[in-house]
Amino acid sequence: MSLLVQSLVLGVLLGGLYALLAAGLTLYFGVMRVVMIAHSAFLILAAYLAWWFTNQTGLDPLFSLVLTVPLFFGMGVFMQRVLISRLRPATLTMMSVLLTFSIALVIEGMLGFVFSGTQRRIRLDYGGASFEVLGANVAVVKLIAFGLAVVSLGALFLLMKKTQFGQSLRATIQHPDAARLIGINTDRVAGYGFGLGLATAAVGGTALALDSTFYPSLHWHWIGPLMAIIVVGGLGSIPGAAIAAMVLGMGQALLQIPLGTTWAQTFFYVALFVTLMVRPQGFFGGRLAQRF
Amino acid sequence: MKVKTPYRAAGLAVASCLALTACMSSGADGGAEDGTGPIKIGISLPLTGDFSEPGKGVQRGYEAWAAYVNENGGLLGRDVELTILDDQSNADRVAADYEKLINSDGVDLVFGPFSTRLVVPAAQVAQDYGFLFVEPAGAAEEVFTQGFDNLFYAAPAVADDHYDYLADAIEALPEGERPQTAAYAAMDDPFAMGTAYGLKDRLEEMGVETVVDEVYPPNTTDFGSIAAKIADSEADIVVGGTQYQDAVNMIVALRQLDYQPRMAAFSTAPTNPEFPEAIGDNTEGILSPTGYTPDADYPTNAEFVEFYTEMHGDAPNEDEANAWTTGQVVAAAVEAVECASPDPDCQGQLIDWLRENEVDTVVGPLTWDAEGRPEGAHLIQQYVDGEIRIVLPEEAAEAELMLEKPRW
Repeated sequence: MSLLVQSLVLGVLLGGLYALLAAGLTLYFGVMRVVMIAHSAFLILAAYLAWWFTNQTGLDPLFSLVLTVPLFFGMGVFMQRVLISRLRPATLTMMSVLLTFSIALVIEGMLGFVFSGTQRRIRLDYGGASFEVLGANVAVVKLIAFGLAVVSLGALFLLMKKTQFGQSLRATIQHPDAARLIGINTDRVAGYGFGLGLATAAVGGTALALDSTFYPSLHWHWIGPLMAIIVVGGLGSIPGAAIAAMVLGMGQALLQIPLGTTWAQTFFYVALFVTLMVRPQGFFGGRLAQRF
Repeated sequence: MKVKTPYRAAGLAVASCLALTACMSSGADGGAEDGTGPIKIGISLPLTGDFSEPGKGVQRGYEAWAAYVNENGGLLGRDVELTILDDQSNADRVAADYEKLINSDGVDLVFGPFSTRLVVPAAQVAQDYGFLFVEPAGAAEEVFTQGFDNLFYAAPAVADDHYDYLADAIEALPEGERPQTAAYAAMDDPFAMGTAYGLKDRLEEMGVETVVDEVYPPNTTDFGSIAAKIADSEADIVVGGTQYQDAVNMIVALRQLDYQPRMAAFSTAPTNPEFPEAIGDNTEGILSPTGYTPDADYPTNAEFVEFYTEMHGDAPNEDEANAWTTGQVVAAAVEAVECASPDPDCQGQLIDWLRENEVDTVVGPLTWDAEGRPEGAHLIQQYVDGEIRIVLPEEAAEAELMLEKPRW
C-alpha cells in the first residue's frame, strides 16, 4: 500500500516536471509549426548554466533564473527572427526539424568543448531532504521543481488569457492571416512566442538540474518522451501538454511497480501510437495537428 | 571477353611478381627477422564515438608504457613502437583495423582495444592469424565464451567476480549477523549486470533473500520509482550494478525516500573522483569493487604511478592501469620466450607461456584460466572517514571494513 502511495506521489511530481519541460515545445509548434528538436538541448544548456552559476557564486541555482530566463528569451527571439523566419513557409515544419537538429548538435558540441563530457551535478544541502505526507516521502528538490512548473505554467496561462500580448499570440496561433488583417504584427508576436518557449526551457533546465546528473548528450534521452507528450496532448495546446504530461508521468511511475523500468518506459511510445491511431490530432489539441 | 592464353599467363606472372615483392618489402621493413629494428605493436582504440573517454584513457596508458619501456632499455634490447588506429567505437571498423595492422602494416604484436563490444571482433581477427591477444577492457562473460584460445584479459577479475572478497567477508559472518534481505538494481549492460549478479548468486547461496531485482535501460533518467521499490522492501543490503550517473541519481533518490540499508555497494561510480563531489558527505560506508588503485603496494606499481604522474600531471585511473598491465603481460611473455614477431610459431609460444605462468603487474599478480579469465578478484573499497580506502582483502586493507553503514 505504501509503495502505491509513494509511487503516486512520485508520479505527480514527475508529471509536473514533464509538463514544464514540454510546455515550450508545444508553444513553438502552436505559434509557428516549428518542430523544435533543440528544445531539450536548451534544457541541458540551462542546467549547465545553473551548475556553472552555483560553482562560481556559491548561491542557490534557483537564483540563476534571474539571468537565464531573460537570456533564453532573447536567444529565442533572435533565433526566430534570424534563422527560423528565413525558412520557406511551405516547407517550414520539415525544414525546422533539420535546422533545430543542427542547433542541438551545436549546443551539445559547445557544452562538451567548454565543460567536457564529464557528468555534472549540483550539490545541494537539501538534495536528499524530504518530509512525510500520508506515509509517502516527498523530496524537497522534487517539490521545488514541481513548484517551478506550477508557477511558470500558471504564469504562461495568465499571459495567454489575460494580456493583450496573449490575445495577439493566440490570434497568431489560430489564424495568422486574419491576425495580420486586424493589425497584429505577427512576425514580432511569433518572435516573442518563440522567446517565451525558450524561457520555459531556462526554468525547466534549472528544475532538471536540481535533481539529476547531466552531461552534454543527455538531451537525446529527453526529446523522445517530450515529443510523445505534446503529440498525446495535442500539438500547440499548453493545457493539453500539461495534462498529458501528468497522465504519462503518473502512468510511468505506477506501471513501474508491476512491469519494471524497461517496460514502463515504453508506455510513452505506446501512448504515442495509440494517439496517432485513434485521435491523431491529440486528446486536447484542436485542428492544428491535423495540418501537420 | 576472351583473352588469349599467353597473355593470361603473362598477366598472372606479373601479378605474382608484384605480390611477391609486396611481401618481401613488408617483410624487410618489419625488421623482425634481423632483430634490430623496433618491435612494432598494433592497436586499434575507440578514440572517437561512444567509448572515446575510456578509449583515450587506454591510449594514455599504452603510450606511457611504451615511453617507459623505451627509456629503460626497450624490449629484448629493441625499442617498442606503437601504431594506434581509431576505430570510432565501431565493431566493423575494429576488425578491419586489426586486419590492416597484421596484414599490411606487418606489426609484430597486437594489444587489445577497449570494451567487450570491440574486443570480441578484434580477438577474432587476431585468432585467425594466430596472434596473441591481451586486452585491457573486456570483462563481460561473453568475451570468454567465444572459444578464443589466444585471449587474456589483463585485469584482476571478470565482472562476475568483482565482489568476491565482499561475498567472502559476508559469508564469514555468523549467520545471525549477515544481511537477511537484498535489493539489486542493475543497468542493462553486460558489465554492470555481471557485477551485481555475481554478488547476487553468492548471496543467494548463503540464503540471503532477494526482495528486489530491477534492471533498467542505460538511458534511464528518473530513479524515483526504482528507489521507491527498494525503499519499500527495506532490504538490509542494496547492490547497484551501476556505471556512473545512474549510481549517483539512485543514491540521491534512495536518500530522498529515507531508505537506510545496513550495507550499500555500487560498482564503478564510487571510485570516480567526481562521486564524492556529487554525493557530498553522505558517502560514508558505501562499498565498491575496484580493479586498480594508485595506492596499492604491488611491485612496479609505485614506478608506474610516478612515471605516469610525471608524464600527465595526475595519477592514473583504472583504464590507464589496465593498458599498462596489458603492456606488462605481453612484455613478460616476450622476455621469457625471447621472441617478438608475427611468426605463428613465436605467437604460439607467447600464448603457451602465458597459460603456464604468473605475471606480476601493477594490478597484482595475474594468472588465467583456459578461456583467458583472470583468476583474481577485485579489491573492495569503502568510504571510511570521508575517503575511499581498501577494506578487503585483509592483507591489502588500509582501513577496517565497516559492516553497519551510517545513515546517509
